[in-house]
Amino acid sequence: MTCDEARELLLDVQRGRLPAERRGALESHLAACEACAHEAAAEALLSEALEGRLPQHAAPLALKRRLAATWPGASAAEPAPRWWAGWRRALVPALALGVLLLAALPLYYPRSDGPGAPMVTEAVNDHLRLLSSQHPLDIESGGMHQVKPWFEGRLDFAPVVRFLGDDDFPLRGGAVGYYLDRKAAVFVFHRRLHVVTLLVFRADGLPWPSRGLEHIGAVTAQVTTSKGFNAILWREGELGYALVSDVDLPDLVRLVGKLAATA
Amino acid sequence: MIGAYDPGMAGEQRADAAALGREALAYADTLYNLARYLTRSPTDAEDLVQETYARALSAVHQFTPGTNLKAWLFRILRNTFLSQYRHERHNPTVGGLDTVVAVAPGTEPAQWLLGDLELDRLRKVVGEEIERALASLSEEARTVILLDLEGLTEVEVAQVVGCAVGTVKSRLSRARAALREKLRDYSR
Repeated sequence: MTCDEARELLLDVQRGRLPAERRGALESHLAACEACAHEAAAEALLSEALEGRLPQHAAPLALKRRLAATWPGASAAEPAPRWWAGWRRALVPALALGVLLLAALPLYYPRSDGPGAPMVTEAVNDHLRLLSSQHPLDIESGGMHQVKPWFEGRLDFAPVVRFLGDDDFPLRGGAVGYYLDRKAAVFVFHRRLHVVTLLVFRADGLPWPSRGLEHIGAVTAQVTTSKGFNAILWREGELGYALVSDVDLPDLVRLVGKLAATA
Repeated sequence: MIGAYDPGMAGEQRADAAALGREALAYADTLYNLARYLTRSPTDAEDLVQETYARALSAVHQFTPGTNLKAWLFRILRNTFLSQYRHERHNPTVGGLDTVVAVAPGTEPAQWLLGDLELDRLRKVVGEEIERALASLSEEARTVILLDLEGLTEVEVAQVVGCAVGTVKSRLSRARAALREKLRDYSR
């Protein structure tokens, strides 16, 4: 198999539409040809990026309603089956009660899988990545006046963080990171021997929770625990903030108060 | 085939058209997503999808039950885009799909270094960078990449864009090479 032939088949093998004997020949070629193996890796990574990270735009509800109205009968309900007519009288009140109970449950039991759950998970994972990194900081702190200008040209937004750090929460430095599908400014504070990660990112297009929020100073925040870490997420204008650490929750809330009071 | 939709059509035909409509509406998100990437504008995308469904409704007699409805709707959407939007507002961007050539076999040491950087870059690239890179490609390139991403086979993509299956293969290969080139540019 030549390199040209091999490269023509790279997408076919990814899509699982290559017969076994051709796949075998391709695998043999890739094992022997470093250049084509590189191409195969790049193509696989491109597919992974497209499938996993390319934003998907859902049709607005108003458009869907207009479309349904345009196509006669498309949104009409199916005629009720005969068995339903008999059971309807008993089932409808029972189902209504069930729906009410389900709606009331989150008031009594804190949820770990609400709309903001992926955001909390990502924030905690970012904190864990930072903890395990050999070189977590791109810039060591000489104070916020030195760290913040460092982000200029590295992000597509200006991170607004006016708390300069103090003796209780000294600022250790910053780095450029990633939060879900976007870049983030990462600020690292310390609380005694504990690391506190603050992520600042563009807030638009994220599944911010609207219920179960708490007022901390001037902001309304989601306060939660995940994998043993405390996480507090809030948004101010166009920016989102996520603060994660294993310090006690009251300490973390105090830091949010400092950040929010001066932001 | 289903008869062209007409308010006075027989009850059975009307039921078929309504059933097709329900199935077609299930693709609203997918069609809107493609429309967003073609028009690069939420408002234009809404108009394009609405026009697509209007055209599909009036051409419902041309759809053969049992064939791929999704591909049929994609074809209508793309043809509508080409006839209404492309020339009015968004010309294909610089470079053009056909000017991009996939990396030739037989690399030199310097290209190996670039290759390593490329793999590293592809692992770290974020959604908005991919979106920006994709948006900068020609309409033809964006279309084949997105249709392939939607899981359409090469035969179905060929039906949507109206070309030979072999042409789809080479277009897709060049489009992906162009996208990788754009993503490589961002890392420089």
